[in-house]
Amino acid sequence: MRSTSFSYLIFATMLIALGAIFLWVPTEQEMGIIQRIFYFHVPSAICAFIAFFLVFVGSVQYLRTREDKWDRLALCAAELGVVFGLIVLISGPLWAKPVWGVYWRWEPRLTSMLITFTIYAAYLMVRDYGAHSTQAPRLGAVFGILAFVNVPLVYYSVDLWAADQQLHPPRNVELAPAMLYTKWICYAAFFLLLLRLLAQRMELARIETAVARLRQKLSDEV
Amino acid sequence: MSFLGRALAILRKDLQAEWRTKERLSPMVFFVLLVLLVFNFSFELGGAALHEIGPGVLWSAYVFASLLGLGRSFADERENDALDALLLAPGDRGAVYLGKMLGNLIFLLAIELLSLPFFILFFNLSPGFFLVPLLGIFLLGSACLASVGTLFAAMSNNMRLRELLLPLLLLPMILPALISCIEATALILANGRFEKLLPHLQMLGVYAVVFTVLSLMLFEYAIEE
Amino acid sequence: MGGDDPIVLEGAAKHFGAQTALHPTDLVITRGQAALLAGTNGAGKSTLLRLVAGLCRPSQGGVRIGGRDLQRTPEARAAIGLLSHQTLLYDELTARENLHFFARLYGLDNILERIDAALVEVGLSQRQDHRVGVFSRGMKQRLALARATLHRPSVLLLDEPFTGLDTGASTALHRLLREFRTTGGTYLLVTHRLDEAEGLVDRLLVLERGRLQLDESLQDDLDADALRARCAPYLDVAP
Repeated sequence: MRSTSFSYLIFATMLIALGAIFLWVPTEQEMGIIQRIFYFHVPSAICAFIAFFLVFVGSVQYLRTREDKWDRLALCAAELGVVFGLIVLISGPLWAKPVWGVYWRWEPRLTSMLITFTIYAAYLMVRDYGAHSTQAPRLGAVFGILAFVNVPLVYYSVDLWAADQQLHPPRNVELAPAMLYTKWICYAAFFLLLLRLLAQRMELARIETAVARLRQKLSDEV
Repeated sequence: MSFLGRALAILRKDLQAEWRTKERLSPMVFFVLLVLLVFNFSFELGGAALHEIGPGVLWSAYVFASLLGLGRSFADERENDALDALLLAPGDRGAVYLGKMLGNLIFLLAIELLSLPFFILFFNLSPGFFLVPLLGIFLLGSACLASVGTLFAAMSNNMRLRELLLPLLLLPMILPALISCIEATALILANGRFEKLLPHLQMLGVYAVVFTVLSLMLFEYAIEE
Repeated sequence: MGGDDPIVLEGAAKHFGAQTALHPTDLVITRGQAALLAGTNGAGKSTLLRLVAGLCRPSQGGVRIGGRDLQRTPEARAAIGLLSHQTLLYDELTARENLHFFARLYGLDNILERIDAALVEVGLSQRQDHRVGVFSRGMKQRLALARATLHRPSVLLLDEPFTGLDTGASTALHRLLREFRTTGGTYLLVTHRLDEAEGLVDRLLVLERGRLQLDESLQDDLDADALRARCAPYLDVAP
């Protein structure tokens, strides 16, 4: 997944996506040009959730097998999930200002994403502050499992709370065909990007661990 | 040597020790009072503001107090160098979690009950029938806090900057439960209809059950070396 | 191989991140044996002891107590008693309450009789209702001994048990260990003070840099100097 041909594929898909977003797709009636942020915002959210699911998978598998590769998956996926979450949290207010007049409103979707973001930011802290490097993966795995189970609860409970504040554009709105195609192209582009970044980051993590082991071995033999 | 037997033995030991020293309970109740005091200077607590901010203030005070209290879950073991004693005991270590979790549940409930009079006083409430459903919310809320809080306390036992980290881990995770506690309390104080209360009760129930079960299963991993 | 020997390590190892505290180790200690685990600081003695006690999960391999794998059968820990330099006692509770708690934790029956007997054996009956916090070091260690043997373990693990003991308590511990062996008990003793190990051990294990350097049975009860001489070649620094 780190091969050059895959990189070209991603590059091409992104180019097509950008072309679709800025050149092809028609401007939405109500909101105008700013609506195009939707094509970045939504795929990022989906990628964030895929990443969080991968954290869950990595965590469960790490506790079962204690193999480093699962721990690497969990850590790298968490980092990427936080990054994509940040994109969502930044693109949201950028869209909100022209449309609603304010940068932030405590409406359910953005609020839930913010809470989820803090949960996974906490995950990264658990990794950083584990007492030594066998603690961190294990404690992270425990937290990673709890975090993912909590996500649906977060969304449900914020929805309950904001039942009288439905401001976010409805989820299943009818999209014109062109918009639908653009949306799917963007999903594909962002997903491929996620895979690539994940693969790259995991390889980096693998090298880091190998270097640490080598260092330890050398200092032992001295 | 039953699972429940061991859990209850631990619960009993913690209650015994706490009763002797009362070192966790009194400072926590005092802390709730202080938080309410601080809030008073931020908002006007009496009168019309009650229904809008009252439940939030109440639960904020409880959550902050519980953050301090939960961090002490294994303090008895830490200070006596006795954690190994619990881990040495045969059988599923989930029993240790259950014993500690029940202890925390009772402890949090005690704080809430003991500081309720302050709340009634500052908010000029007249004690009435609402106290009964409110106790139910206290119980559910404490169960939610204790379920994750005990597990995180065990985890942060092994971590640097323990006191700093526990709140950072716990607060985001308990938000769903906290939201429902606040909403449910608001509904009760406003004599809301039961149908509106039900989803929140369900939320709290599901949260408490899910996270207690998960924590029971994951505790071994959190506490092991 | 292994059967139901009291202590069996099969390729057990412990890594802390990139550091190895214990390299994969095979060890069988048979019933009635008393082994001395010697080595310099940081050699891995505590790690090995904690692995055998089930307090530490092996990164590789397994540990069996009486034929049962510690990770798979948590009940196997019932056969183990641990006496370390940490007393594992609660200062706020009385001696009696401490023992009562541990008795319940281990699911023992005849709790009251057992506690009475244990307190008599370690000479703390008079002080049983005093808080452990006011005990002297020697008294705490005596109570810890009662705690460690309350559930009649078949395997005793001792980590620097003589630290801070006065002569009386030390003699009592010696006596208890000898009695323990005659009833078929097995123990693993970690101590720096080889003079304390005199007459107590029939097997010598030397750990250095996480590896078992020496493992031999001792024909006669060696005195401290002889033990020291046996260990010396395998240690980086003479004890």
